[in-house]
Order: sequence, then structure tokens, then C-alpha cells
Amino acid sequence: MRDIFFDLSVRSVRLNFLRSLLASIGIVIGVVAISSMGMLGTNMQLSVKDQLSANVNTVMLTSDVVKMSTGLGAAPSSNTIDTSTLNDIKGSAGQNDVVTIHHTSTQFSVGDQNGRGSIYGLDPSDVPKFLTIAEGSNIRGSDALVGATIASNFNLVPGSTIKIGQNCATISRPVVRVAGILAARGIAADGVNVDNGIVVDDTWYTDHFGELDQYDQVNVIVQDVDTINQTEAAINAKVNRNSDVVRISDASSRLSTITSTLGTITTFIMAIGGISLVVAAVSIFNVMMMSVKERVQEIGILLSIGTEKGEVRRMFLYEALILGLIGAVVGGIMSFVIGYSVVNAMIGTTQYFFQPASLIYIPYGMVIGVVVCVASGMYPAWAASNMDPIDALRSE
Amino acid sequence: MSDMPLIRLTEVTKTYHLESGDFTALDHVSLDIAENEFVAIMGPSGSGKSTMMNQLGILDVPTSGELYIAGENVAKMSSLERTHMRRDIIGYVFQKFYLIPLLSAYENVEYPLILKYKKRDTTGRAADYLRAVGIDPDMGAHRPNQLSGGQQQRVAIARALVNDPKILLCDEPTGNLDSKTGLQIMEILCDLHRKGKTVIIVTHDPHIGEYAQRTIRLADGRVVAS
Ligand SMILES: Nc1ncnc2c1ncn2[C@@H]1O[C@H](COP(=O)(O)OP(=O)(O)O)[C@@H](O)[C@H]1O
Ligand SMILES: [Mg+2]
Repeated sequence: MRDIFFDLSVRSVRLNFLRSLLASIGIVIGVVAISSMGMLGTNMQLSVKDQLSANVNTVMLTSDVVKMSTGLGAAPSSNTIDTSTLNDIKGSAGQNDVVTIHHTSTQFSVGDQNGRGSIYGLDPSDVPKFLTIAEGSNIRGSDALVGATIASNFNLVPGSTIKIGQNCATISRPVVRVAGILAARGIAADGVNVDNGIVVDDTWYTDHFGELDQYDQVNVIVQDVDTINQTEAAINAKVNRNSDVVRISDASSRLSTITSTLGTITTFIMAIGGISLVVAAVSIFNVMMMSVKERVQEIGILLSIGTEKGEVRRMFLYEALILGLIGAVVGGIMSFVIGYSVVNAMIGTTQYFFQPASLIYIPYGMVIGVVVCVASGMYPAWAASNMDPIDALRSE
Repeated sequence: MSDMPLIRLTEVTKTYHLESGDFTALDHVSLDIAENEFVAIMGPSGSGKSTMMNQLGILDVPTSGELYIAGENVAKMSSLERTHMRRDIIGYVFQKFYLIPLLSAYENVEYPLILKYKKRDTTGRAADYLRAVGIDPDMGAHRPNQLSGGQQQRVAIARALVNDPKILLCDEPTGNLDSKTGLQIMEILCDLHRKGKTVIIVTHDPHIGEYAQRTIRLADGRVVAS
């Protein structure tokens, strides 16, 4: 059997349908704002996570030594990992692959077009361990692999040639031939950002850029990602036994830093969406107060013939609940449509949209909308139930 | 307690605190009303009749003095207990009918049953009471604003009776009705008195007052005859 106080609330909402609808619009907007912002943030997190988690099995090692120049006016040399440290690393890395990396930034030319990008020196046998050649083949001699961005910007295909170094009329520059084009990596979690880079044979690199036996970065690719912490500990115990020689980091900690940053951003933009709910709360409060004021005499009748205060309160809270539910349902449906469009427009893919972590923001926003609505109705309901029945009856 | 009448007022005073000073609307009123009396409260406008009815209806408590209804000291009850007394032992009939506008005639009569039993009525009692006051069951679906004044007052009487109260309080029940309809309403009230209800009615109209067995006259908040 239906509660008569619920019936009374439904009839009151129906009687003032337009007014109730307008008040609910605030809730609709609030729910849409919270849900779609939440979904946007989550989709962003999921897509970044997917891009990064490809390389979570990599420990990155860079020099932690600040090398002071000894001679007056001598340029400070960049910090690198030397051979003895490398041997320590290899000794403590167990069965895992150890990849040495040289890199710097360079200018280059393709035909008469000039560009700038990173250049990496790698042992050709290390390339397949963490890079994917999308087109062409691996490097040999003075071959190069180019990143996806460079390849498309300069229309490079296997067989194209690139002049490396600053464009200068008097000096002839070394030339590399494109052997293959690498698959796009996005933000690489192992520190090898080759999309806008050129990969050359390590020997070719040291012939032209120096730094023989001095490595900019060493990556240890662990076979079992669950052992990454043990591997890091083993390397740390060996290499940094006397003083801090290498800085050890891995993608999982970077990944968690990035996702937690994105999480903070998501919360922040949701809070901005939440402001619209504050506005909605004010309009619900206003409509509920109007409802109470208009029905003073009716409240007087209810109280005088023996209705409990709690029952009068319930009647008005139902009214707020109905407004909230209308707003939440309409808002939920609209969040789905608007959220989908926003995610599609901002992230460029909706492949994560239907994941529970993303869709959960719709019920989440709806619940917040209903709670805000009922909370806004609390004072008006309290005021109605605490009227003096004699005064209320006398009012016209 | 066995000699306690249904209603007893001892030195009941009601004072309103106004900016212009205190105003005593009821001034040391003492009287008893026994079960199954038919009482008319009469007096000029502003003499305190409605104030008295609010006391008898437990809508208000005395500023001083003691008021016993069905053996209970009203001032000593909690707000919730007073609410339950209003629901269970008092029926109200107002000059302006005061039906609940959002409920149908039938639901208005059913309403006190829902308050008391916390569920919709399945006993057919609400329909019985509507029929008893001369409202056709077909009219039950109508909202109050679709009924004539006489019909509304009949529905209001049915609503007042449905929880079988001991006391029926009627503040100018015929005040908003033409004289013919007013007399029909009075016939219903007389009939209820014959069936054992205690009926207390406020009126200006000496003809209406003649229906009662006993008349309490008020002037300036005092009882001048009872
Ligand atoms: N809530 C109130 N505040 C102040 N004065 C009141 C209030 N209610 C009634 N009075 C005053 O008390 C007196 C008696 O009022 P009432 O009982 O309504 O008289 P009656 O019903 O006999 O016309 C009147 O002078 C009225 O102005
Ligand atoms: Mg009066």
C-alpha cells in the first residue's frame, strides 16, 4: 500500500509541475557536470595508463653523480654511467636484459628541410627488446630507425636519407639511411621517447657524438614484473654501496605519480562541476520554501487533526526526493550522451568510456544530485513540521 | 480520579504577549463538561470562544491553571502525546471545513485512519462514515473544491468521526452555510449526541444555540453563565 504522504507529495509536485521542473533543471545540470567531468578524467587516466603500462617492467638507471669540472673554464661534462658501474649493474641484474642507451638532442635535415629531435644510440640487438619496427628492418652500420612523428612530418620511408648535425655550409654532415620506421610509443615510460627521435647504431653514435663507454641511461628490462622491486634493491645494494652513483626509478612509480596527478585533476574538475549543484541546492531550497509557504493552511489542518511532526516532515522530504529523482534520472541519461561526446572530443577515443570505472560516475553523480536535493529540503521540511497549528490554520 | 469528568478546567488562563502589553483572552475559567453533554459556547466576538476551543482541542496549553481531558493533564503531556490525543479522542469540525485540498473526499475521511493505524483503510469504515453523513459513494472521488459547502461540511464531520472520538468540537460549524444547510448539519450533530458523543459547539446564532442542552456564555474571557 502506498504511503499517503508520498501521494500528497506527488500531487503537490504535479500541481506545481512547471515550477518543480525548473527547480529540477539545476539538479540535471549538476549531475551532468559531475558525471561527465568524472568520466572525462577517468577516461584520460585510463588512456594514459594504457600508454604507459607497456613499459612498467623497466628499471631506469641514470647517473646520480654531480661531476664538477676541474679545469678553469672547462665545460662541465654531462653525467653518465661508466663501464665499471655498468658491470656492477649487469652483475646484480641477474637474468634480466640490460640495455645501454646514449642520447642527445640534435639538428638534422631531410632534403632542404631542417628539423630537431632526439637521437638515440642503441645496440641493434637491443632494439627488438623494447621497440617495435612498424615498417622496414633493423639497423646495421650507418642505418637509422625513425620515430613515427618524424617519419610522417618529413615523409620518410625506408631508404630515405637524413643529414645529422647543424646545417653549416663549410662542414659536410654525416648521412644516415632510414632502415625502418618505429611504431608510435606515446609517452614512453622507460624514458625512450622515440616518436620524435632517430635511433642509430651505438657505434655510429659514439663515432660522431663521443661518450664511448659513457652511458646516458641504462635500462634493465625485468622478465617478471613482480620482481621489479627486488631487482631494484639488488642493483641499489651493489651500485650505490658507497655513495649514490645511480638514480634508480621505474615506470610503475612514475605511472602512479602520473595517475594520481590525473586523479587530483579529476577531483578538481568534478568539484567545479559540484559548484553547479550548490546553485541547484539553492533553487531547490527556494522551491521547497515556496511550497511550504503556499501550504501553510494545509499544514495547519494536518497538524491540528493529529498528524505527527515526523509525518509532515516526511511529506516535504518526499517532495524534495521526487524533485531530486526527476533531476537525477534526466541528468543520468543526459550525462551518458554528453559524457560520451565530451570524452570523444577531448580524448579522441571512447574505447574506455564503457568501462565500469568510467560509467560509475553516472550513478555517482545521480546519487549526489538526490542527496543534495533531499538535504536542501531538510530545513523547509523542518520548518513546516514545527509550525504552530493554530497560527497555520488562521493564515489565508 | 473516578469522579473526574471528561473535561475539567480549573482556573484556566490564557495570556497573549503582545507588544502593546499582555492580553488575557481567557481569565481564570473553571468548569466541567461531562461525557455525552451537548454544550453551546456563546458570546460576543472577541470574548474568547475560539481560544477556549483551542484549549479543549489540545491545540494549545493554558498559560496557567489546569486542564484535564479524559483524565490527562494537558500541560504535562509531550507534544507527541498531545498529537495522539487530537487524533484519537477529539474530532474537529471547523467553520471553513478545512478539508485537505490535495485529497479526495474519500481520502479525507480515510486520512485519520491512516494516521492512527499507519496503513491504508481496508475495513470500508471510511466509506461507511461518508454514507452515514449523506455523501454518495460516487462523490468520494471528488476533490473538496468540487463539492458544495454543505457537502464539504458533511465530509468534514465524517472525517471527525472516523476514529470514533469521545469529543466533537465544532467552531461555528454552520457559519459558512445557508440556514437550510446549516439546520441539516445541526440535525447530524444532534443525532451524534443522541448516539453518545460529547458535542461542544461555538455559535453566534441563538437558533443554533437552542439545539444544545447547556450554554456557556463568555464575555471578555470570563464565564458569565454556564
Ligand atoms: N494569537 C493571538 N495573539 C494575540 N491575540 C489573540 C490571539 N488569538 C486571539 N487573540 C485575542 O484574544 C481575544 C479572543 O479571541 P477569540 O478567542 O478568537 O475570540 P472569539 O472566537 O470569541 O471571537 C481577541 O481579542 C483576540 O484578538
Ligand atoms: Mg472565533
